[in-house]
Amino acid sequence: MFKKVLIANRGEIALRINRACRELGVHTVAIYSEADRTSLHVRHADQAFCVGPGPVARSYLNIPNIISTALITGCDAIHPGYGFLSESARFAQICNDHGITFIGPKPSVIAAMGDKATAKRVMSEAGVATTPGTDILASVREAARAAESIGYPVLLKATAGGGGRGMRVVNAPEELERAYASATAEAEASFKDGRVYMEKLILRPRHIEVQVLADNYGAIVHLGERDCSVQKPSHQKLIEEAPAANLPPKTRDALHAMAVRACAHVGYTNAGTLEFLVSGEQIYFMEMNTRIQVEHPVTEMVYNIDLVKEQIRVAADEPLGYLQGDLRSTGHAIECRINAEDARNNFAPAAGTLEHVVFPGGPGIRVDTHVYSGVAVPPFYDSMIAKVVAFAETRDAAITRMERALRETVVKGTPTTIGQCLEVLATKRFRSGDYDIDFLPSLLHAAPVA
Amino acid sequence: MPEDLSPAGAGARLPALRVRALAEAFSATDLIRLRIEGPGSDAVELRRSTRVPAATTGAAMAEPESGSPLKTAAVKADLVGILHLGRPAPAEGQEVDAGRELAYVEALGIRNPVRASGSGRIRTVACRDGQAVEYGQVLFEIDRS
Repeated sequence: MFKKVLIANRGEIALRINRACRELGVHTVAIYSEADRTSLHVRHADQAFCVGPGPVARSYLNIPNIISTALITGCDAIHPGYGFLSESARFAQICNDHGITFIGPKPSVIAAMGDKATAKRVMSEAGVATTPGTDILASVREAARAAESIGYPVLLKATAGGGGRGMRVVNAPEELERAYASATAEAEASFKDGRVYMEKLILRPRHIEVQVLADNYGAIVHLGERDCSVQKPSHQKLIEEAPAANLPPKTRDALHAMAVRACAHVGYTNAGTLEFLVSGEQIYFMEMNTRIQVEHPVTEMVYNIDLVKEQIRVAADEPLGYLQGDLRSTGHAIECRINAEDARNNFAPAAGTLEHVVFPGGPGIRVDTHVYSGVAVPPFYDSMIAKVVAFAETRDAAITRMERALRETVVKGTPTTIGQCLEVLATKRFRSGDYDIDFLPSLLHAAPVA
Repeated sequence: MPEDLSPAGAGARLPALRVRALAEAFSATDLIRLRIEGPGSDAVELRRSTRVPAATTGAAMAEPESGSPLKTAAVKADLVGILHLGRPAPAEGQEVDAGRELAYVEALGIRNPVRASGSGRIRTVACRDGQAVEYGQVLFEIDRS
């Protein structure tokens, strides 16, 4: 096991990793920006180093300062969390070059899966169904030809993309030129990589993803699926649940089998997630995230497993020590993301001081957060301030529990997504479990939050 | 800070003579920074150290606090590394000239000078030799003359 781990992240996930390390008896080093000096993750770590000013390019993406911090503090591993450098093959390679273990898959696998067009090709080799689409598009003319052959509507996606950035829906030929220009520009601005590719737009799909875990000795298991179909119009997830409701057993088994097969094919190690679109009986591989995900707690609740600890154990060369047959999912878990955002204004991020914060508790409730009363939410980072997770024996009970928990929650100082989450939970659609990724956008369209 | 400082010492495999020739060619240009990457992980990076404001070479001079009778300026670390005091070590009360190298921060095997951006008297030495320093950490305070 490692002696000391540097946590190359901020916010709730930095705390989450710190907790896992503590329970494994591993020392921790936090990094922080000048804007995060008062953040909880700084307080909870054994040591903390400021690595730069607020903007991420100069702090949480500052590879020289992060590596230097790891070296001078004697860290033998770095956990990248999610976002920031978590899917940077270059960063993983630099860690390895300095004799520091990157807690994640091999750099070559990160590179292959991080390039979405490459990932799709590799997945089809493994016999995983992918969305009809193209390789990277060289020009808008090539895009027009491709769209004609695939058939409108189509989706333009950034190959380096994530979080809905660099993604555009194109319904008809006359929209293509403008959508292509804005998708490439947004991708260039967000990821310094403006390359885009095209996919057929699957109408009204569910977003279902499969959690996998693989050790360095060839053992691969899945930890079931999560339904993340409650998405904002920007495709960012708002509510996730495990297991997916109303999923035919045949489809569920096919998803799990594909995920494990894909991992074996690419020699995947550590934790990862394969995202699929599911439309009727059709399954389409979308992308693989080679890191821990925001919504991992719902899986942890139903499988009673600590995924972050498993990531650290696997990176430290420990075998998983269990097989697929040893794993059982019980009950139902739902996660609501509490973001400092104005749901009435297209979920615009709202920085400010959280004057007063009270989080829920009681049976079956888990809260992962880095904020507290009086803390400032800096404008530089993701607007998520907390994840509230409700676990119960049945889906209905989990929904009721979540409603109870959200009503206990108090956040004063910025607008939040609490009201929006409660509205979703109250709908017949959500309660029936029969919803897809168009559900929240159409709900917003029909009845703007009062 | 540039990301391409690392991997540390990647240029070490380049023959010293070649690096010297490169450095001479580099100093004949107006370039601030030059990085040459080889086919493998070999890389050499040259950065201009003379006549460059302290803010770009390992230290930043903060604005003096308003209302203070003397104009006191803080010299801060602008990267994470191990601090090495200059020889002889700067002492409190000592007069220093602008541009004087007070210390350097060693990060990823690279020496990043910490300079006094203006002349004055050292009020405080807030660091010690061999200490790990973080971004923005105050290393010296100088009463500007």
